[in-house]
Amino acid sequence: MNKKEDSLPSDKRPKKPNIFSVLSPYKPMIFLLILFALLSNGVNLIIPQIISHAIDDFSLGEFSYRKLIIEFLAASIVIFLFTILQSIIQTYTSEKVARDLRTQLSAKISRQSFSFIQQANPNKLLTNLTSDIDSIKMFVSMGVVSLASSVFVVIAASILLITIDWKLALTILTIIPIISGAFAIVFRKLQPLFKRSREVIDRLNKVINESILGAALIRVLNAHTMEYNKFLDVNTEARNLGISILRFFATLIPIVVFVGNMASLIILALGGHYVIQGRMSLGDFAAFSSYLTLLIFPIMVIGFISNFIAQASVAYGRISEVMNAPETADTGTIDNELKGNMEFKNVNVQFGNKPVLKNISLQIQAHTLTAIIGPTAAGKTQLLYLLTGLLKPTTGDIFFDDTELSLFNKERFQHQIGFVFQDSVIFNLSLRENIAFNETVTDELMNKAIETAELQDFIGSLPDGLETIVSERGNSLSGGQKQRIMLARALALNPKILLLDDFTARVDNQTEKKILENIRQNYPDLTLLSVTQKIASVQHYNQIVVMEEGEILAVGTHEYLLENSTEYVQIFNSQRSTNEIETTED
Amino acid sequence: MANYNLNIQKGQAAPAKSSVFNTIKRLLTLMGEERKNLFVALIFIFINSGLNLLAPYLLGQAVDKYVVTHQYQGVIQYSLILLGIFVAALFSGYTQSQMMGRVGQRMLFNLRNTVFSKLQDLPIDFFNQNKAGDLISRINNDTDKINQFFSQSLVQFMSSIFGMIGAAVFLLSINLKLGLATLAPALLIWVFTKGFSPLVKKLNTANMKSTGGLSAEIQESLNNFKVIVAFNRRDYFRRKFDEANTANYRSAIRAGIANNIFMPVYSLVANIGQLVVLGFGIYLIAAGEFSIGLLISFIAYVTQFYNPLRQIAALWANFQVALAGWDRISQILVLENNLQQQAATQTEKKSALISFIDVTFAYVPGKNILNKVSFDLERGKTYAFVGPTGGGKTTTASLIARLYDPTSGTVLLNGADIRTISDSQRTAKIGFILQEPVLFTGNLRDNILYGNQCFSNLNDEELMRELNEVGLDGLIERFENGFDTPINASGDNISLGQRQIIAFIRAVIRRPDLLILDEATANIDTVTEQLLDDILRKLPRSTTRIIIAHRLNTIENADEIFFVNSGTVTRAGSLSDAVSLLLNDKRES
Repeated sequence: MNKKEDSLPSDKRPKKPNIFSVLSPYKPMIFLLILFALLSNGVNLIIPQIISHAIDDFSLGEFSYRKLIIEFLAASIVIFLFTILQSIIQTYTSEKVARDLRTQLSAKISRQSFSFIQQANPNKLLTNLTSDIDSIKMFVSMGVVSLASSVFVVIAASILLITIDWKLALTILTIIPIISGAFAIVFRKLQPLFKRSREVIDRLNKVINESILGAALIRVLNAHTMEYNKFLDVNTEARNLGISILRFFATLIPIVVFVGNMASLIILALGGHYVIQGRMSLGDFAAFSSYLTLLIFPIMVIGFISNFIAQASVAYGRISEVMNAPETADTGTIDNELKGNMEFKNVNVQFGNKPVLKNISLQIQAHTLTAIIGPTAAGKTQLLYLLTGLLKPTTGDIFFDDTELSLFNKERFQHQIGFVFQDSVIFNLSLRENIAFNETVTDELMNKAIETAELQDFIGSLPDGLETIVSERGNSLSGGQKQRIMLARALALNPKILLLDDFTARVDNQTEKKILENIRQNYPDLTLLSVTQKIASVQHYNQIVVMEEGEILAVGTHEYLLENSTEYVQIFNSQRSTNEIETTED
Repeated sequence: MANYNLNIQKGQAAPAKSSVFNTIKRLLTLMGEERKNLFVALIFIFINSGLNLLAPYLLGQAVDKYVVTHQYQGVIQYSLILLGIFVAALFSGYTQSQMMGRVGQRMLFNLRNTVFSKLQDLPIDFFNQNKAGDLISRINNDTDKINQFFSQSLVQFMSSIFGMIGAAVFLLSINLKLGLATLAPALLIWVFTKGFSPLVKKLNTANMKSTGGLSAEIQESLNNFKVIVAFNRRDYFRRKFDEANTANYRSAIRAGIANNIFMPVYSLVANIGQLVVLGFGIYLIAAGEFSIGLLISFIAYVTQFYNPLRQIAALWANFQVALAGWDRISQILVLENNLQQQAATQTEKKSALISFIDVTFAYVPGKNILNKVSFDLERGKTYAFVGPTGGGKTTTASLIARLYDPTSGTVLLNGADIRTISDSQRTAKIGFILQEPVLFTGNLRDNILYGNQCFSNLNDEELMRELNEVGLDGLIERFENGFDTPINASGDNISLGQRQIIAFIRAVIRRPDLLILDEATANIDTVTEQLLDDILRKLPRSTTRIIIAHRLNTIENADEIFFVNSGTVTRAGSLSDAVSLLLNDKRES
């Protein structure tokens, strides 16, 4: 992703994300929040005042219980109400910020291309959407209020100190620049550590995720220890990072406390001196002491808060990377119904420096049957990905009915193409939702798709029928059943073009034959493009494309290829013995 | 099948029942050697809070003894003593935070390791029943909540409690009556906290559950993104996400408000405490039982007592969050693998490598996949398992590899009940190439040698020689950069056929006694498949092979063919026999 950013012209590059900018849409709430926090803190400052007055009044013999209790209780209850209001608004604001950020981020992700997701790495996106946003939430809930009220209290307490005795006050206030300096130094050093600790979380996610997806293999190979060691490595790094971060805090906090303590020492030595000299009253001296406590506490709070700010800034930076990633806008406007003609013109695809498809040119006529055959890693799947827009050609063009692919309105376009992936992708939803994976699918279309995919018996045998909840890793489905659900999902769109990626691999011959026959009958206008290993089932196709290592070696009918393509003949021979059996049995 | 679903547990009430102390006790056992460190750290916390308490006391003394009596000499003396105390507090504070933080980090480290290693212990069924995203959330998020409490809050919690107790002792010793009056409002807090905490914990548990759900949703959608794109269901992703997000928002608000309620209540009570001191103190002074100087230091102590109490309010919420996190983690930790190795019973007199005796199996009770199946597999032979999709072929293979145990009946390996054989022995004998090839992020070499201790120390040349011996060397050349070809777990940079080749090499190089290929070559072209077939044929004579396939050419060389369908495993006489079974069978499943 860095590459992409670098390629932007420098003036267009997003400016360094500022964590405080997340707050701007919530100004009214933040305002209320700070208002209530300040109010409760402001009233809080009156309490030592009340105490000091009561003591002074008492010394002067003017003390009244009634006055004290009324003043004190009134102040306490007001504080109570304000803090409650503040905490409710605080919770709402921080959760709103988190929710809205998640919505924005997920909307952004949802508009991205498939290759973006692969590159951005799902494990990192998961951290972005969970832990990273949590740190920002933490900053809003703990940071904003505490920061505002701490700054306020520090300023207010300073002013009060100055009004009592400005010389003593100024001496004491020297601790503020000392403490802020210490914070500034430490946090500059912490920033990169925070960044690394986020990245370690990404990697923890990855290890856990892979160990879950590979659970079966790990158990077959008894590789628990290996997985554990992998996890241990990353976890150790996480621990060491955590300890390094901690070392800074373990140093910083006692220093801050010490500096604060020194201030109280100054009050004793210097203030005591003033009292002895008669320049200061005992009540003022007491008030001075309590204001100092008021002053020290928020300074320490700011220290803790800056931790949240630093973490949230790092998190926000990571999120901004995703948010600012360029989007491939759907500029296509053509929403013609597809006829089914497809053409590749000099298409090249490269992954990094690795050529995957080399100068592919191929024409497919509407309503015909085309098969693609060839060894593994020939680029067959990529060819299908190109036709669905999952992959973009590095160079060259793809045409549907003589119109360039990018000119089509994506939504309309994709509704007309049914794609059955090679590997099964089943959502943790009901069978009905998995098959009618698009709201435009009517019951009629869905039932037709189910019958075509020969799923009716299977679904009928389930107690909950179509409402059965299935899942990718659930054990309720066999490989072939998953494959047929995927087919039904594609057919339910009532597509003009059907792309099958090695569909026959997991479905037995008998079922496969029935299904292909069903497709022919139920979807007569379909243009079919099928990647396959089995010559027997595609012999009668209009054209067969032989591919190897990203190149098209030959195109033609079965008979033509038997005459003209040695590679095809080799594949054919490798399957001949069984062909004979199957044909004799037929 | 055991219930491994963490979100629908019968024993849901069980962890809730355990008291706070039990939880702390169990957490302490998890800490192991950390207990010593924790103890030392606690001593420093104790010293540190002692010093922090002593300071205002001395401050008050100085005021009373010397400031009031105008003796500056004494003020200076006390100031120097205080300086000494502050310096000592600086060091004890540093040691305390350093040690506690380390304890917290190591505790998090241990906790994550424990959960992860538990995950590795659990059978495959656990993973079928739980979502990856939810598990990730438990290992990362929930443990972190516990860590936050331990590394950030526990120090404060402890020092606050020490501080409170110390302040209380001072308060009581300065003046018993006034002291008691000051502490009385704290009772209110105790009652409030006790009554309110269970609700707070419950709301936090609910919130973490919805966070787990959110994480699961993201995980599923991102992993299936290509279908979302190809079917133009970006709105689906957004909608599903919005649902989970909104649910999380709601539960978070509930938990957040509950967590934040402690603070105002504690503050209110603290203020009332101050009022009591002031009023009662002035009364006592008027009665001649107390002095102004003492009252000033008393008021300072009251803050020393009620400030930590306020802090505890915030920490208490963190504590409830940590407890909720712990509950979610314990849900995993209490699970037991139901596939334990059992004590050896007498071995049956069977010469076969694998025998099924009356094996019945159901994933869901009442829906038998296999029904009283019995068969023998002899050493050195090649078997083919054929049958329609969903017929039970993969299930049969999974029982041989003991991914599951039969619902009833026995599976014998070398004449011994497979349940009595250790995991390492069994897995060394059985190589199982799964239907869905699994890759790990790394390079080709890592993936081939995954879980292979014997060869992991070989250098590339030696490894090549090993591969050469079983004829696998040629397959490596199919990968761009040989052993160093980078591999991604999501596998979209590599074709399914290639992934199957990797899985094939990984299993065959181990030279197992029994090799199961579950549609292991389904996506490999037939020319390459012949090559793999040759490799299989050249394996040592004693190697038994089980081939599960739809494509008939992969099974034509089998010695025996089993037809698996509708809960039965029947022996087909010949290939053509099997074909006719396949063609004419009435599909019951």
